[in-house]
Amino acid sequence: MEEILKRLDERFYVREKKQQRPNLLFVTVDKKVAVEAVTYLRDYEGFRHLVMISAVDYIEQNLFQLTYLLHNYQLHSDIGVRVFIDREHPVMDSIHHLWAAAQVYQREIKEMFGIDFPGSPRVDEPMILEGWDNIPPMRKDFDTKKYAEETYFPREGRFTLDPIKQMEKKNYPLEAEVKYEIKRVVRDNRDKK
Amino acid sequence: MSLKDILSPFYAWKRTLEKPYTIKKPIEEREGADRYRGFHVNDIEKCIGCGTCEEICQNEAIDMVPVDFIHTKKGDSGLRPQIDYGRCCWCALCVDVCPTGSLGMSNDYIWVTPDPEEWVFKPGVDEKEWKDDDKGYRRTDEAWLLDPKLTPMPVMEPEVRKNTFDEMAYGYEVIMATEEASRCLECGICIDACPTHMDIPEYIKAIRENRLEDGLKILYDTNPFSESCGRVCTAHCQDVCALGHNGDPIAIRWLKRYITDQTADRRNEILGIGKPLPEKDGTVGIIGGGPAGLTAAFYLRNYGYKVTVYEQHDKLGGMLRYGIPQYRLPKEILDREIQTILDTGVEVQYNVKVGKDISLRELKDKHDALFISVGAQIGTQMPIEGIDTPGVLVGLEFLDQIAEGKRPNLGERVMVVGGGNTAMDVCRSSVRLGAKEVFVFYRRTEAEMPANDEEIEEAKEEGVKFEFLTAPTKITKEGDKLKVQCIRMQLGEPDATGRRRPIPIEGSEFTVEVDTVIMAIGQKVDSSMAEQADVKATRWGTFEVDPDTLQTNVHGIFAGGDCELGPDDAIHAIADGKKAAYFIDKYISKQGKNHAETK
Repeated sequence: MEEILKRLDERFYVREKKQQRPNLLFVTVDKKVAVEAVTYLRDYEGFRHLVMISAVDYIEQNLFQLTYLLHNYQLHSDIGVRVFIDREHPVMDSIHHLWAAAQVYQREIKEMFGIDFPGSPRVDEPMILEGWDNIPPMRKDFDTKKYAEETYFPREGRFTLDPIKQMEKKNYPLEAEVKYEIKRVVRDNRDKK
Repeated sequence: MSLKDILSPFYAWKRTLEKPYTIKKPIEEREGADRYRGFHVNDIEKCIGCGTCEEICQNEAIDMVPVDFIHTKKGDSGLRPQIDYGRCCWCALCVDVCPTGSLGMSNDYIWVTPDPEEWVFKPGVDEKEWKDDDKGYRRTDEAWLLDPKLTPMPVMEPEVRKNTFDEMAYGYEVIMATEEASRCLECGICIDACPTHMDIPEYIKAIRENRLEDGLKILYDTNPFSESCGRVCTAHCQDVCALGHNGDPIAIRWLKRYITDQTADRRNEILGIGKPLPEKDGTVGIIGGGPAGLTAAFYLRNYGYKVTVYEQHDKLGGMLRYGIPQYRLPKEILDREIQTILDTGVEVQYNVKVGKDISLRELKDKHDALFISVGAQIGTQMPIEGIDTPGVLVGLEFLDQIAEGKRPNLGERVMVVGGGNTAMDVCRSSVRLGAKEVFVFYRRTEAEMPANDEEIEEAKEEGVKFEFLTAPTKITKEGDKLKVQCIRMQLGEPDATGRRRPIPIEGSEFTVEVDTVIMAIGQKVDSSMAEQADVKATRWGTFEVDPDTLQTNVHGIFAGGDCELGPDDAIHAIADGKKAAYFIDKYISKQGKNHAETK
């Protein structure tokens, strides 16, 4: 793996590397050489299998990160090629010409993160989010709870009681009345200018 | 491409005649693994309805709902969790957090119903076939999300504290208090158990967030004796704490003390005491400046009434001063706490014994309303031969002397009779006065002792010896020693209080030789002033009141604290004082007067 890393670095300049396990290496390369690096690994280094493509939203840095995970059957090793792309212009070159299966990942990433892969077959068609009318749901700025509350209705008839209030009501309603009024009187005096 | 690649599709045909892997109908159910997370189970007897499961559920799948046959009672909200399986994701956080360990999951996972409403149910309440399953997921100690261990209070070593009346508990430091406060679940089960219903979770939260000023304000909303209570409260709250079911309850009392300790030098400023208060027509006379009386005074001043306290001693504080020894509640602490109350503008007349120096009738005419809070100040005597022998002391009088700063010589061997908190105060004070051997004689067993466990434990640490199931029958003096004849007891049927009645065992008499005997067997109320204004008293000598309003049979005269409850703790007196303030205001202000009368 060290040899491979060295050759990769010479050709494409590895910005960051992380040896996760002896047989798992992550490298970060620049966006404009990423497809070349992946092609090189496939055709020259024996990483013939595309395991998956994944994405992470680094909203704080205004970046998306894509990871192309490749597998080498001979070495039983994996390399993850990472690339950062601008969150404002989320466009990446497609690799469907290298692996036909990539089009599925790219279509999904387009749907879930809004990262475009121009030229990838059927990339604009929805995969599971038919009729979606919101920002892509895997983006960090998508508020799942708010969306759920606005879109779906809660189950009818559900209610919950506060144990504190329930005990006040059942065990000491009069004393609770005393407590709240005294509290109000004391606070009024205290917070008065 | 190898030969194998070409042939392998044909190998599959060899399975043609084998038993298929598909599942036949009706489905043969396969039991889940032993710790499978299936549908919930709940031991509803163990569950206290604290709502921590609801709080932690990330999917808002749990509601706390009432159940017909479960009643709200002390330490149990009466609510039980109801789970919406349309939302549950079987993550088991609710199980891992459950303080009582009542909630679990069965290993049952196969169940279906066409009615969507049936997917919402109360585990342990609604009949389901897995209701009593033992198998399935249960919380383990390692996975428990709560911390069951108390942050210990730094205290003086027994050998050191035996020789001094200095305060034995040093108080929490910041890090200890924060740590202890962070154990709290904020379920609020404790609020109900507190006689004055302090907002316990709120002030604990204030400690956690280091908002001690807010914490102090929260304390004074319900209790102007928070500093004393932070040291000597009987802490009914801790008895019901959700964490106490499987671990140590939160040290609520010490946390309260922490707030008052840390804010003591700026107390009046934080509480806005000294600012002009509203003015209302009407004056209130308060008889007895103990915790009940002064609490009433504090809140009545806040309402805007003029308040005069009539105190028979030359100092205020009642039992907090004369009943609780210095090593538990230093007098300086009590003094500064009382000063805060007085700073609201309370007038005090010291050394006035109502009933003797001035009659109750006169006071009634002088004020618009009266609050009697004279406490239970008379120590009960035992009707045995030789009880007035010199060297036989009454517990309360003994503590009174010590509070005044006297340090009587008790000799080497001291016998204390009684099993309550007063007996503990007496025996531990005796140790501090230099007695070599101190015995506590109690006629029942340790389990029946009314004293707090902590007190008993600390007394033992200080070398106090206990003789259970024993009572004195006769005391005689021989030379400078007291000979006490005692008899052994056995426990019989429970009496009216629910405790088993001690019965003397015939022929078990024996004699003990001691230097001093101190009787700490009970307290009585002196209600002799009652008849001066035709106020009714009960046959036990306590003042008779309407339990809702604390008003006696005479309009405008209220009574509360020990003199109404019988001997009890400070926090009950404080609760009464607060309640009295509320109903005295209702009584005095026109509209409320009707309210109090119609009650």
